[in-house]
Amino acid sequence: MQKFISQQNLGRLLDKLIADGKRVIAPRMDAGTPLYGPLADAAGIVLDQLPRRSAKETFFPVCEDIMSYGKEGQQVTLRDVSPASFPETILVGVRPCDAAAIPVLDAVFSWDYQDEFFLERRRRTTIVGLACTQADDACFCTAVGLSPAAPKGSDLFLTPVEGGGYACETFTGKGEALVNNHGELFAEPNGAPALPLAEPQTEKFDLKKVKAWLDDHFEDPAWDSIAVRCIGCGACAFLCPACHCFDIVDEGTEKAGKRRKSWDACGFWKFTHHASGHNPRDLQPKRYRNRIMHKFKYYDDKFGQTLCTGCGRCIRFCPVGIDIAAIVDEISKK
Amino acid sequence: MNDNPIDTTIYAAVTEAIQDEARRILSEGSVSAVVGYAAARRKGSAQPVVITQADDAGKLIFSAACVNNLAVYLTKAKKEIPKAGKIGIVVKGCDLKALVGLMGESQLKREELYLIGVPCAGVLASTAQPARELTGDTIAPKCRECDNHLPQGCDFVPDQRPVTLELAGKYSAEIARLEAMTPAERWAYWKEQFKKCIKCYACRQVCPFCFCEQCLCDRNKPQMVETTPRPAGNTAWHIVRAMHLAGRCAGCAECERVCPMDIPLNLLNRKMAKELKELYDYEAGFEVREKGPLAMYDEKDDQSFIK
Repeated sequence: MQKFISQQNLGRLLDKLIADGKRVIAPRMDAGTPLYGPLADAAGIVLDQLPRRSAKETFFPVCEDIMSYGKEGQQVTLRDVSPASFPETILVGVRPCDAAAIPVLDAVFSWDYQDEFFLERRRRTTIVGLACTQADDACFCTAVGLSPAAPKGSDLFLTPVEGGGYACETFTGKGEALVNNHGELFAEPNGAPALPLAEPQTEKFDLKKVKAWLDDHFEDPAWDSIAVRCIGCGACAFLCPACHCFDIVDEGTEKAGKRRKSWDACGFWKFTHHASGHNPRDLQPKRYRNRIMHKFKYYDDKFGQTLCTGCGRCIRFCPVGIDIAAIVDEISKK
Repeated sequence: MNDNPIDTTIYAAVTEAIQDEARRILSEGSVSAVVGYAAARRKGSAQPVVITQADDAGKLIFSAACVNNLAVYLTKAKKEIPKAGKIGIVVKGCDLKALVGLMGESQLKREELYLIGVPCAGVLASTAQPARELTGDTIAPKCRECDNHLPQGCDFVPDQRPVTLELAGKYSAEIARLEAMTPAERWAYWKEQFKKCIKCYACRQVCPFCFCEQCLCDRNKPQMVETTPRPAGNTAWHIVRAMHLAGRCAGCAECERVCPMDIPLNLLNRKMAKELKELYDYEAGFEVREKGPLAMYDEKDDQSFIK
C-alpha cells in the first residue's frame, strides 16, 4: 500500500500514538548524545543524525532483568519476568542499515532456542523505516548489498519527498494496520519525486569472494597485521546493529537478587576465558579474526546472509581507527 | 564558537622528518619496531601502525587526525608488539607524560625506547569526521590547555616550531562549575553521566595506565563490581577508575575521546589531579619518579580525615 504523510501529520501521528499509551521509540537527544529512546512528544524526534547506538536495543536492551530470586530461611522464591508486560511499541525513524539488521537478529534469537524476551518485543513492535539522505565516508550499506532506500526490516517505510512530507509504503500487515488505524493522517500518493538519496562511496564488496577466502584462511599472517592495533574493547560490537552476543549473570546478595542479561563482545579477553584458566582466543588478533569470521563467514554458513549492514558506526567510533570496510576490501582483493 | 583555523602547515615537514628518522633507526637496526601513525582509508584519517621494516617508513604520517596516545601499545597488556630490543615510538608532548609515568611504575625502561617527539599544534577532538579542519571548535579539549607543544627529553624531535592559538581552557572552567554545586547536585550530574555507560571498556582499554593483567572489574570470584551496565556497577566502575588513576593519570584524555557515550571522563581525572596537587603538591610531569602520593606513606601526611 502506498500513501503520503505530511511532516505535520507525522508529528500528529506520533503524538496520537503517545496519547493512546503506546510506547514510541525514535532517535532523540539523550544528555547530548543522539540515541533511540522513548519519545515524550513528537517535537523531540531528531531525524538528521544517525543515533550513536543502533535500534537493536529496542528488542535486545543493553541490560535487562530476566529473573529475580529471594531467600528467607529455607524458603527460596523465584520470579520470572513476564514478556506479557512488554509494551506495544512503534519504532520510528529507523535508518535502513538499522532496520535491515533486525531480521538478521530474528534468525539468531529464534534458531535453536526461542528467546522470548527478544521475540515478544519483536511481536509487539511496528517498525517505521526512513530512507537516508545523508552519508559520510564511513557509511557502506551499498557495499554489503543494501541501500539508503532499502525497506528490509521495516513494516512501513518513509521516503522524504520534494516539497516536504514522506512517501509511505507498507510492507507487512503491521505497517498496514498502522496506516489503516490512522487513515485520516495519510493521503493518497502525491507523485512528488523523492529527495536525493544518500550516496555511500564505498565500492561494492564481492561477499562471495570474501567468504571463500575466509573459508580457507582461519590461520593466516594477515590477521596479525590487521589486528595488531586492536585494543580489545567492545565499542564496535556494542554500537553494531547486528552484533548480538550477551552474557547472563546473577547479581545481588544471598538473600535477594536478579538474573540479568547484558551485551557482551568477542573483542574482550574475558569473552572466551574458560573456568580452567585456558583461553582459546588468547591474543587480540584471534579475537578480531572471530569478529570478521562471524560477520562474513559463520553467520553466512548458518543463515545464508551477512552479519553486517554497513552502518559505519564501528568505523566512526573505533578508538584506534580500525576500518572494517577497508579490511573487507583488503580481503576481497586477496 | 571559534572557527579560526589552526596552523598545521608544519605537519608535512614533521611527517617527512619522522619518516626519515624511522627509516634510519630501522635500517641501522637500533630499534626492532616503530609505533607511529599511518594514513587510513577515509579522507584525512589516521590509525596507529607498527612497522618493523625500513621500507615501510614511508607509511608514517603526522596530522591533526593523529589523536591516539600510542603509549598504550607499550604497556604489558599488548603482548603482540615485538618486545625484542629497543622500540621506537612517535610521541606528542601529552603522550610523553604517560610514558614517563609508566617508567616510574617500572612498566618501561627509558633505555628500551627511542622517542621520536612531535612538535604539535594540536589534534582533533574526535575522529568521527577525520577530514575536518583543525580550528578552535574542532581541536581536542586537552590541546586547549596544552603547554607541551614540543616534547622534552626525546631522542629526536623534528626541527619545526608549531604556531599555537590562545584558547580558553575547558576543564578548569568545568571543574569550577562542578565545585560550585552542592554535593547533591554534583551527585545528580555524575549519576546522569554514569547512567549512559554501556561498559564497552574502551576507556580502560585505551588507557596506558590500565595495564593490570586482570582488572578488578573482570573478576567474578568474588565479583568485586557488578559487571552489568546498570547504575550501580557503572558508578562503581568509574569511581574505582578515578581513584586508581589519581596521581597517575597523565591527562592524555584518551578515555574521554573514545567514550562512545560522551561521558566526560577526563573531567573526573582532572579533578583528581587537582586534588593531588592541592593535597600533596604532586602532579604528573616529565620527571621519572618511582613513588606517587597514593603509593607511599609519609609521617607528615595529613591525617585529619581519619576520625
